[in-house]
Amino acid sequence: MLFGLEPRFAAIGIAGGLLSGLLGVGGGIVMVPLLVLWSAYGQRDAHAISLGAIVPISAAGVATYGVAGQVRPLEAAALTVGSIAGARVGAGALARIEERPLKLVFGLFLGVVAVLMVARP
Amino acid sequence: MTGAALIVALVAFGVLTGAAAGLLGVGGGTMMVPFLTLAAGMSQHAAEATSLLVVLPTAIVASLVLRRRGVGDLGVALRFGSLGAAGGVLGALLALALPGHLLRFVFAGFIALVAVRLVRDSLAAP
Repeated sequence: MLFGLEPRFAAIGIAGGLLSGLLGVGGGIVMVPLLVLWSAYGQRDAHAISLGAIVPISAAGVATYGVAGQVRPLEAAALTVGSIAGARVGAGALARIEERPLKLVFGLFLGVVAVLMVARP
Repeated sequence: MTGAALIVALVAFGVLTGAAAGLLGVGGGTMMVPFLTLAAGMSQHAAEATSLLVVLPTAIVASLVLRRRGVGDLGVALRFGSLGAAGGVLGALLALALPGHLLRFVFAGFIALVAVRLVRDSLAAP
C-alpha cells in the first residue's frame, strides 16, 4: 500500500507521471486513458480524479522549473482570469454529462492530440 | 498581437481552455502552449512555464466544483497525484537519456487506439 492506495492504482499514478515527464505532455492526457482502461472508475470519475491529481503534479512542476524566471506573469494572469471562469463551467458540465457523449468528446480530443503529437517537429 | 488586444485574446482563450480542461479532465497545457508560442510569440520554454502556472489554479477550481458535486474523490486524487509528481521527476530525468521522438510516436499510437475505442464504445448500441 503506497499512500493508502491500491497497488495497481498507485502504479497508474507513477506510470502517468513518468510518461508525462518523458513525453513533455500534461498529466491528464496520460492519466485519463490509463484510469479508464485499468481502474474501476467510469469515464466521469476518471476525469475528476485526473483533475485532482493535476493539482500536486503541476504544483511540483511550478516549484521545480516554472518559477525559474521563464514565466511571463502578465500573460499568465490574463489566461488565469479566463480559465478559472471557464473551469467552473467545464467542471459543472462534467458533473452533468452522460458517460456516452463524454467518451465521444474525450475520444475525439485524444484523436486530435495523437495527430498533433506525430505532426510536431 | 500586442498590448490590450493580446490581453483580451488571452482572457478569451483562457475561458475556452478552462472550460475544455474542466470537462476533459486535463490541465489544458496541450491547448495553451501552442497558443502562447503562435499568438503571443513566446519561446517554447516560456510558454511551457507560463502554461504550468495557469494549469494549477484551473485544476484547483475544477476540483473544488467537482468535490461540491460529489464527482470523483479528491483525497484519493491528491495522493494519486503526489505519486504522479514523483514519477514526473523520474520521467523528466529519463527523457534526457532517451530518444524523445520515438517515445512520442509510440505514445501517439497508444492514445490513437484509446481514441478509436472510446468513440466506438460511445456509438455502439446500448
